[in-house]
Amino acid sequence: MTSLGHPQQLLRPVALIFALLLGWSQLATAATLSDATPAPEFTLPLVANGEGDISLLNLRGSVVYVDFWASWCGPCRLSLPALDTLYREFGDQGFAVTAVSVDVVEEDALDFLKRYPVSYPVAIDKTGAVPRSYSVNGMPSGYLIDKAGKVRSVHVGFKKGDEAALREEIKALLAE
Amino acid sequence: MSVPRFVAIACLVTLSGCSGIEPVPAWERGYLADEGMQWQANPREAKFEGHVYTSKEASSGGAGAAGGGCGCN
Amino acid sequence: MQRGAAVAATNAGASPVAPTPTPRKTPLLTALGASVATLPAYQGVLADAPPEFTEVGLRYSRYSEDNLATDKFIGGSRERYDIDVTQFWIEAPVGSSWSVALDVQNDYMSGASPWFVGTQVNGQPGVIMSGASIQDNRVEVGVTTRYFWADGNAGFNITQSKEDDYEALAFAFDVAWNSDDNSRTWSVSASNSNDRVEPVDGNIPVFIDREDLDTQSLYFGVSQILSRTAIVRVGLSYTQSEGYLSDPYKLFDQRPDEHQRSALTFGYRKFFTDFQGALQVDYRFYSDDWGTDSHTVEAAWHQNFDRVTLMPYLRYYTQGEADFFGVTADLGADFYADDFRLSSYGAFTLGLRSTLQLGDWQIEGQLERYESDNDWGLYSGDAAPALVDFWRATVGITWRFD
Repeated sequence: MTSLGHPQQLLRPVALIFALLLGWSQLATAATLSDATPAPEFTLPLVANGEGDISLLNLRGSVVYVDFWASWCGPCRLSLPALDTLYREFGDQGFAVTAVSVDVVEEDALDFLKRYPVSYPVAIDKTGAVPRSYSVNGMPSGYLIDKAGKVRSVHVGFKKGDEAALREEIKALLAE
Repeated sequence: MSVPRFVAIACLVTLSGCSGIEPVPAWERGYLADEGMQWQANPREAKFEGHVYTSKEASSGGAGAAGGGCGCN
Repeated sequence: MQRGAAVAATNAGASPVAPTPTPRKTPLLTALGASVATLPAYQGVLADAPPEFTEVGLRYSRYSEDNLATDKFIGGSRERYDIDVTQFWIEAPVGSSWSVALDVQNDYMSGASPWFVGTQVNGQPGVIMSGASIQDNRVEVGVTTRYFWADGNAGFNITQSKEDDYEALAFAFDVAWNSDDNSRTWSVSASNSNDRVEPVDGNIPVFIDREDLDTQSLYFGVSQILSRTAIVRVGLSYTQSEGYLSDPYKLFDQRPDEHQRSALTFGYRKFFTDFQGALQVDYRFYSDDWGTDSHTVEAAWHQNFDRVTLMPYLRYYTQGEADFFGVTADLGADFYADDFRLSSYGAFTLGLRSTLQLGDWQIEGQLERYESDNDWGLYSGDAAPALVDFWRATVGITWRFD
């Protein structure tokens, strides 16, 4: 094999690739549900804290937090316990949480719930149809829905401190 | 193989591979989250490996690390 | 699927490095090895969220080189280096958007080192080794802070390395960010290292008092999710050093005082759902202005079991010799060296890595064998007699808590 030349020669064309790649960073952002969009309806089988199916329609009149999560999602280890705290706090004042696991394997979701137990109902959607209808763009993704069934805010990801901000939003919607 | 040709091939492979890609939705990224799918699942192992290879071989940079330095020749 | 693996909010697999089980950053500098001397710039990280837990870890590795073969040996000690490496780290989230990590590493080294290459009575080249009494201890301390926002993160690292005869201080900065659909991640990093060598006149005579070396490194990388089960990455790194680059512990070693290195890297990961395992392929092309090119190919299979992962891996490396390399040094030239590390050869590493997850604890073990030979190389050039073979074993434990 012959010598392949000097680093400078290598550098120039490679710089070009990166320039191209940067220029190509188009790819449209998926439209996200925004303020006051009616929350898409769904009916899904429950895997924890309930029997049968759960339907969003039946929760009309409550302030609802629909939370899409997965066992493989890191920040979900923070979001599930935080949501459980809020659910215990406001559950008897008309606040409901409906968690939707997007795990392909139900057992993975159940194992996660053993480590991070929650008291609110947890459903599963192995097909991805429901997260698609909500244009989910990150894990976890939460949709706060008002008593009239409209999406009032969207939360993507979960960090420490998000629980406090969410508490204020819930209080405001409960007061409406 | 000359450097420009080498790079040109790398470009083509990369770009052709990237142009027609459907974004993978957020809820279908479970496999991508697997430990085996990470570029370097263990930073301390990467550091150790970099140490060994850069002190015993002439190359450095990129996926390995860099060299020289310590008295570990 | 392996539980415990995790990704952050929006960028899932886009992250070049979203390790298990919690996403954490790849410390820039700490990804670097031995010396802080040349920085690997890189490894992007990723996770657009800080780690959810505090992690503490301890790792011990034993590196042991084979004795020099008798037919390649002229004098000194045949016992080459053994190195004991201890790594400790603690990494914790701070507030809602930061993480901080402390890395401490101690290397204890003993054995003999090739001093110069001469000619045996049979006319073949042979190595004159140092005595067996070389001992050295190196301590490295690094601190990394990292800030996370919705689409990326940025880290800053300071690392200091100290041994009797060598000191290095390095700074590194890296940024990684995701495209809007989180399918693509760009990484950029830059680093700087200032090194000082003050050779100890022990069992090898040295001829310098004190020398400096400055190194800067840059890295650009982009990774792209191809499908639910595949991701690819391309990277380019460039490193330049200026200062003392010779080896003070070799009798005949006179190298240029500048060194420019480039590396082009390519990585691919593919998950096979039927097997619950991932194929990892990495390639690097390296070229420098000392006349050395190299190719590195690594392949690994990462198999998930319930609580256990098993990862066999194979690495092939081949390099061409530096312009000024000679099996025996050409002392009449401007630059010369008989260092086997600058010769043409090929090398294989075969290894097995395993982890066991027990609740918040993870135990790891790893064993590998490295062998090198001039005949295994793709580049022409005469064989250096001091080519090295070694064993390496590692055990480690990691604990995670809220």
